[in-house]
This record gives sequence, structure tokens and C-alpha cells, in this order.
Amino acid sequence: MELLQYALRKLLSGIPLVLGVTFISFVLMVYFGPDKTYELLGKNPTQQQIEEIRHELGYDRPFVVRYFDYLRELVTLDFGHSDSTGERVSRLLLRTIPISLALVTPGFILGNVLGIVLALIAAYHRGGWIDKLIMTGAVVGMSISFLIAIIAFQLIFSSSYGLNLFPVRGWDVYSLSDYLRYVTVPTLATVFVALGYNTRFYRAVLVEEMTRDHVRTARAFGIPPAKLLYKNILKNSLIPIITRIMFSIPLVVISGSLLIESYFGIPGVGKVTYDAITTGDQPVLKAVVGLTAVLFVFTLLLTDILYKVVDPRVSLK
Amino acid sequence: MRVRKLILFIAICFATACGGGSGGGNGNGNAGLKVYKHSFDQAPSSLDPAQAATTYSNFIILNAYDTLYSYKYLARPYELTTNLATDLPQVSDDGLVYTIRIQPGVFFVDDPAFPDGKGREVTAADFIYSLQRHFHPQSRSQGAWVWQGRIAGLDAWKEAGSDYDNPATGLRALDDHTIEVTLTRPYPQFVHTLTMGFSAIVPREAVEHYGREFSIRPVGSGPFRVVRFDSARAVMEKNPDYRKVPVDLAALGFDPQLHQGFGLEQIEGRTPPFVDRVEVQFIGEDAARWNSFTKGDEIQFAKIPTEQFDTVLTSKNPITPRPEFAANYHMLPILAPEVIFMNFNMDFEEFGYNDDPEREERNKALRCAMIKTFDWQARNERFYNGIGRLFPGVIPPVVPEYDPDAPRDSLERDIEGAKALLAQHGWTPDNLPKLVYGIAGSVKQRQMYEQFRGMMGEIGYPPEKIELKQYATFGDVSKAWKLSQLPFVTKSWGLDYPDAENTLQLFYGPNGSPGSNDANFANPEYDRLYAQSSVMQPGPERTAIYRRMNQILVDNCVAITGLARTNLLMWHDDVVAYPDRNIVNGFWLPYVDIAEPPAATP
Repeated sequence: MELLQYALRKLLSGIPLVLGVTFISFVLMVYFGPDKTYELLGKNPTQQQIEEIRHELGYDRPFVVRYFDYLRELVTLDFGHSDSTGERVSRLLLRTIPISLALVTPGFILGNVLGIVLALIAAYHRGGWIDKLIMTGAVVGMSISFLIAIIAFQLIFSSSYGLNLFPVRGWDVYSLSDYLRYVTVPTLATVFVALGYNTRFYRAVLVEEMTRDHVRTARAFGIPPAKLLYKNILKNSLIPIITRIMFSIPLVVISGSLLIESYFGIPGVGKVTYDAITTGDQPVLKAVVGLTAVLFVFTLLLTDILYKVVDPRVSLK
Repeated sequence: MRVRKLILFIAICFATACGGGSGGGNGNGNAGLKVYKHSFDQAPSSLDPAQAATTYSNFIILNAYDTLYSYKYLARPYELTTNLATDLPQVSDDGLVYTIRIQPGVFFVDDPAFPDGKGREVTAADFIYSLQRHFHPQSRSQGAWVWQGRIAGLDAWKEAGSDYDNPATGLRALDDHTIEVTLTRPYPQFVHTLTMGFSAIVPREAVEHYGREFSIRPVGSGPFRVVRFDSARAVMEKNPDYRKVPVDLAALGFDPQLHQGFGLEQIEGRTPPFVDRVEVQFIGEDAARWNSFTKGDEIQFAKIPTEQFDTVLTSKNPITPRPEFAANYHMLPILAPEVIFMNFNMDFEEFGYNDDPEREERNKALRCAMIKTFDWQARNERFYNGIGRLFPGVIPPVVPEYDPDAPRDSLERDIEGAKALLAQHGWTPDNLPKLVYGIAGSVKQRQMYEQFRGMMGEIGYPPEKIELKQYATFGDVSKAWKLSQLPFVTKSWGLDYPDAENTLQLFYGPNGSPGSNDANFANPEYDRLYAQSSVMQPGPERTAIYRRMNQILVDNCVAITGLARTNLLMWHDDVVAYPDRNIVNGFWLPYVDIAEPPAATP
């Protein structure tokens, strides 16, 4: 009951957040975003045709009316049709989000799990050569741009100039083996870059935890290293780890990975979002921004609940 | 229990992600099928013929739908031929009434939009409906300009509320297979417009059934049907009911000398389309496209990225591939039907027309001096690998009206002449006007601006007076052109049909902003000649007028012109094709075949 009340309170308190995000983003879209009218015009337009397109796009309606329409669309989850492709926005997102999820989830999980494992090892051997080796690798991962990593991995693993083991691009996924064929190289590139950032962050968190009294006491009791790392250090460091992971989720779900999708020819939501931004496809943008804001509210709630799960001292009041 | 639920959730996600793509899909089952994999450097956003404004969308639309006419696959110069029409149109003596017969027994593909899902016969009424759609505001047509003011009663039909059940007076179905079109004035390019994707024939049922989503769910009667379309690719499958017309290579314009080595002889007498499935990959990134092309089992066709020229060629003049590429691929340099140019906006009194005749004369001298300063050779070398074709004015080499003997002074760099012209008309670095150079944000455009600024610096144009204005998107810079907000417009114009009228109209006075005349050039003689030639059939007299108009543009120093790119196309050697997408556009796709691998020696 306490949890339910807390959830309701938290969701209600998220409404101003959603209103704020949608309002600011809508102002930006309407007054500072690309004008779609001139992309939809023919080669030799008349003034009348310009006005007709503006009317079709709803640009001739008052801002307030359009904003309230946006809120209604967010509540009903009916964002109409994309101004670029004509596809219903809800269908577009339902088609592309699962693809992006399937694409980025392995990299997201592996990047975090391996990051934590490496950070534990590095933290345990703090100052030693193992720590230095891992941290050097992390810095290399952080220093190489994602774009370069993608091109390099594609060249090494997929192209005829390299090992030629995987497809260069595509998403013909109809079985688990297809899935593994298409997801492996993007995942390797994602993990390579994510590992750098994650390992450094988690190591810092774990090192701080290792200086606590209870860890020193545990060591004095002669607790084996594996048990010490897992039970005494990792479990007590979960709050910042959960925070980092949870707050990455909305971006992973909605934004996908534009670069990965473009280079590997994967029809996910990242490419759709990017195209919507650059072409001023407002129905798609409104959906992506609004849903991301809503997802953040749910993420905040879930994060608080997870805090309580991993640390019973946390109160949900 | 929790673990089971988690597994179930993951399985659902996985199943949804599998086969993702609009229009469903039927699995990747390419096994046993003849598949051709094409590539584009951009994705079309819509497959609705009303929005067939790009080469990319046209390529697919022309294969999913029928048009009345098309271009011969191999004939150069480009030649019109019939497609759904049985013959070229019968034209009345006054050139106003076109009567066109269409083939009976042609059916739209089966689709849920039709009763019982069974495609019905294509009729004359479908053509009329398809053309009228361009004049219905809800169609968001990008093609209305092609027929605007040209077909009797069409504008009035729109004014009266666009009622499809009461067609425009100029569009009549004499019977199910005969169309009559009445024009308001002779329109010699009319038949060319009936080859464009804009004129593709759509069934009303499908438009009404799918509504806005008709743009991603094509329902036509073309050689292929689209089974999947998303931001990464389009997949088309052979239309099994497509009309059976065996290939007559001679009739298609086959030239044994020109087309030698492409293996085209093997399609003679066979009935297209030859491949079961076509996959068109949209690959914007040059590196990814090249990796996919050279991999061997992915895309089979690619436009060679500029940065790969040195890898692929031993010589650019003449274009000669390296032996290892010549052994495995076909290569074709193709001159694009386009004009790359920069024009001054004559609306700006600093550069163009001015109430003060003396200043107007000085402005002309300034424009002429800038044209003399612009180095086309350097532009060609730096950005087009030195293989673009330069030509004076706006009549490009691919049209029959091109004059190879026209004076080329406007293409020659003459710094001393430019300086003398400026000095003679009292221009000094202090009084030269500020020039705003607008671009849609891209590195290449920015580099072109810097090159332009550097060139102008050689006649003393202060660099700070050539100001860059960056727009986020092409739509934004296009808006600035249409609203006449920029004094200088950098542009490329792809020809819609092989007739110089298509580029000459870019400077016709009545087409001024927001129309296609971004220069807002208004010259009484030019306008008179344009109006005169616009109703003339092709012939020496019209060609002479076109060339005179071209010279007027050059003499008035209204634009820095012109260049057409040479694109280098490559495709795998087992693909039997002549994939010139210029003008012919997607009409060549039904003739593509994949050669069988040679039988293994026992």
C-alpha cells in the first residue's frame, strides 16, 4: 500500500516535468525548427500552394491550440501521421523501437556487466599493473570516437578487406542465428566504446566503497576476495550503479543509436528520430520527445523502488 | 516463475524485432530466387506518385506503378516509347487535344484495398483520377506544377472543390481504354510529363483505403510490387501478372558498339522482369556503401564514392579502371542530366535591378566580373574529380538543343579582365556590396563557399564581405530562396525530361519567387522568346530560340554556369544491366538479369 501511494504521488509529481519538457520542446519545434513547408513543395510553387501546404501541416493554427492538441495526442498516444513518410506515428514507433531495443540491448547489458566486472578487478588491484592495464584500456575506449569504432569494426569483421565474417549491413532477422549475425558487430562496437566510460565510472564508485570501515572490517575477518567484492563492495555500491543504468534506459529505448543504425542499415528508431529532427517532422518529434519525458518519469519511480530493494534503509515517504 | 516471465518478455521483444519493416515482409527467403541488390545514397521518404519529386522515389514508383509512356532502355539520345499506352498519342492539328489508348487487360496487383483483395483492371478513369490528385490539397502533391494551367478545366476543378466524381473538362475517359486530354495551349513536353513518376496510375480504392499511409503502401500495376519499405531499404518482388512483352533489343535502342561487354545480348527475346526480387538499400555513408559493394554477396551496384576514385581508377582521363576492378566489375561513366550553377538574385538592388539605371549598369559589370573570376576548372577538380562537363549557360550536354560550338568565354577565367571591368565601373574593395552566400549545413557546401570566397579575393573582394549564412536543412535554405531572401543562390537542377525548356524556365520572368526562377530574372526579350518557344514542337527553329535565350542569360551575367557531374557507376559482373538512371530512371530495372554462374568443369 505504501508503495502504491508512493508510486501515485511520484507519477503525479511527474506531470509538471512532462508539461515543462513538452512545452519547451514544442516552442523550439515551432519557432526554431526546420520549416517542413518548403520540403514538401514542388519545384515551381505558387503562393496558393505554399498556403495549402502550411494549412495541411497545421502551421496556420494558433500556437496554444497546437500545444493543447499535442497534450491530447500524448494522452491518447495518437500522434497522427509522419509529415515525411505519411506513416502513422504509433505504427512507426511500434515498428522501429523493438528493432532498436534488440539492437542495443546486448551492447547495453554487456557494456554494463563487463564494465562492473572490470571495475571490480581494477578496484581490487588498485594501483597495481592490472588496474593500470584496465584503466589504460578504458581511456583508449573513451578516446576513440564512436564513429571511428564503428567504421573500424565494420572493416575488420565484416568487409572483404578484413575477416569477412559478418554482414556489412542489414537486418534480415528471422531466427536466432540471423539475429546473432546482424547484432554481433554493432554490439562489439558499442561495448568497446561503452566499456571505457562504464569501467572508469564504476571503478571510482567501487574504490570509494572499498575505503569504508565495513570493508576494512570484512578484510580483517579474512573474507575471501570474491565474496568481499560481491557482498561487501558491489552490493553497497548499487545506488550509483543503478542510477547510471536506469537513467540510460529512456535514451536507449527511444533514441536508439543513430550511428549504428545508419552504418549498419538497421531500420530502428534512432534513424527515424534523427530524420525527424533534421526535416522538422513534428508529429514524430512530438511523439519521441513526449514519450521520452513520460518514460523518464517512470524511470524515476522505478529507480526509487530499486533503491528501496537494494537498500532497505531507503524510505519511500 | 519470474524467470519464465522474463524469458517470455524477451521472446516477445525478439519476435517483434524480427522481420521489422513496414509492409510486413515474407522472410528473407532469397534461396532459389534471382535477387538483384541495388543501392542509393539517400532514402525516398514517400512512394506516393503525388510526391515523386526525387530520383530515389521515382526509381521505385516507376517499377511499382505504370505510366503511359517511358524512355527506351538503351537509346541515346533519350527516346520516348510506350508503356501502358498502346501507341504515341494522336494529337489534334491545333496541338491541344491528345487521344491516348491504353492496353486492355492490365491489372493492379492484388491488395486488401480491393473487394476480395483481387486487383482490378486499370482503366482510363484511373489515369484521370491520378492526374487530378495533384490538384487536391490533401494529396500534398509536389507535381502539380507540371500540369498547372496546362490542362483545360483542371484549375477550375480545384476551385470548385476537387470532386473526383465530376472530372475536369480537359480530362475525359472516352471509354475504359481511351483517354482524351485537352490542353489550354500547346505543350510540346506533355508526353514527356507522362513518363514521370508524378503521372503514375494509382487506384482510387487504395488511396482511400490507406489514406495517408498510401505513401508507404504502393498498389500499382508495374513490373514489381513493393513488399517492404523503411528507412534502410525497399524490397520489391516480381509482379507475376505483369504483361508479357518479349525484349526486342533493336527496338530498345541497343547499339552493339556502345553496349558491348555488358552481356545485354542474352536478354533478347526473353520476357522481363527477369529477377524475382529487388532489394534497394539506402546507404548514405560512403564507407559503408563501398564495404557492402566490395563484400561480394551484398549490394551489387553502387555509385563510386569520390574518395575511392584513386583506389578504383588508374586514369581519370580517359576513365580507366584498375585491372583488379575491371576483372570483377562493370563500370560506366554517365553524364548527369543537370545544371550546377549559382545565380544572382536580381531582386537585390546591390547586385541586380536598380531604379538608378547607372547603378544597374554597374551591377551588371560587377556580376560579369565575378563570373570572369570564378574558376570552373578548379571547382571541377576539387569537388567533381575533374570529370564533370562544363558548358556555357543552362543548356546541358544531354539535351538535343545543346550547342557544342557555343562560345565558352563565360567559362574561362580572366582575372585581369575582371579587374579592369570593376575599375572601369568604379568598383573598389570599399564600395563592393556585401554578398550573403546561403547554404544548407554541410561540410562540402562550406568548402565550396571557402573556395568561392578565395577566388573572389583575387579581384580584391574583401573576404568579410562574402558572408556565409548556414541553414539547418535544405527546406530552410529553399525557403530563403522562395522568399527571395538571399542575393546569391547556389543550386543544382536535375532535368525532369530531356528538353532544354526544363532549365530555361528557371529564368522565365513569371516563374519568379516563390516559383523556380530564384534569380527573379525578368528580361522582356527572354520572356517573349520563352513564351514563343513553349508552344513549339522540337525542331531547328525552336532550337535556335533556345540557344538565343541561353545567350541572353550569358550576356546578362545573371548566373555563374554551368557544370554537369559525371557519375561513375559500378556493378558486379554477374549483373546483366545498363543501369543509367538518368532520364530513363527506374525504367531499366525490369531488364536487369543475373547471369548464371558458369557450370563447374567435371
